[in-house]
Amino acid sequence: MKPEDLRRIREQAKERLRLRAGEARVKLVVGMGTSGLAAGARQVLKAIMDELARRGIDDVIVTQTGERGLAAKEPIVEVHEGGRITVYGEVDEALARRIVAEHVVNGRAISDRVLEVREVGA
Amino acid sequence: MIEDLSLHLADLVLNSLRAGAGHVDILIAKRGETLMLEVKDDGRGMSEGELERALDPFFTTKDISDGIGLGLALVQQTAEELGGRLQVDSAPGRGTRVRLSIPYHHPDRPPLGDVAGTLVPLMLSNPQVEFSLRLADDQRTWMLTQQDIRAAQDEAGPRALFVLEDKVRAGLKTMGLKEDG
Repeated sequence: MKPEDLRRIREQAKERLRLRAGEARVKLVVGMGTSGLAAGARQVLKAIMDELARRGIDDVIVTQTGERGLAAKEPIVEVHEGGRITVYGEVDEALARRIVAEHVVNGRAISDRVLEVREVGA
Repeated sequence: MIEDLSLHLADLVLNSLRAGAGHVDILIAKRGETLMLEVKDDGRGMSEGELERALDPFFTTKDISDGIGLGLALVQQTAEELGGRLQVDSAPGRGTRVRLSIPYHHPDRPPLGDVAGTLVPLMLSNPQVEFSLRLADDQRTWMLTQQDIRAAQDEAGPRALFVLEDKVRAGLKTMGLKEDG
């Protein structure tokens, strides 16, 4: 094994650890209870993953939750960054891609589609 | 009736994730005239009472702590409507295995749907869990393992999504399992 191979493997391991330790810049949470799934949450998850991959963004964690008691507003996507959680409702594939492009990349919430913003203890 | 069967698979995998599983094994198999979907995990499992509530179509989500079992009633409904069978083996601390068996050629059977586009994002967005996906018929088995998932992530980085989806689609094609069939 060449030294650069070893370095690459180490970097990759470090990257995985960093992601697992939750040190990603942004966490995106897709509400995927039964009602969320029926309302298209899997297409939303797929669109988010797809958009992140297309843009080569790797400092974002994507995860899922169950029912959030907001069935009428599903699919729900939460953007967690620092001490702030921005909640989007009735997210479709197009909005999911906009959330990645405008909120995650450019740091600007899409204000007319935001359900609520919660400040949590940073 | 549910629009496609990959929705059931996604719901079952999400149940496993909610149950804190470290390993999730997914099986899609055509055995004789039966189509079988199975999700097995090593999560915390359900007690008999939890299982009963999970299978009750009138339960409210608040009845089930942590949401384990959500979607099971819908899977059971599919089994009943198609004259199939739902088997659930679960016990606290022993994980859960859910198996849906339905007639492959039933005229009302929902299609498989976008299995690759449904399962691969779930796998990639839960790196703490080891997944396997097995496709089988009476003679052959095709398998995607956690090693395949890691190798794709190492080689393709964020583009692992496309690599793995293509791999799963190729597997489905090899096994004669179609999105619309």
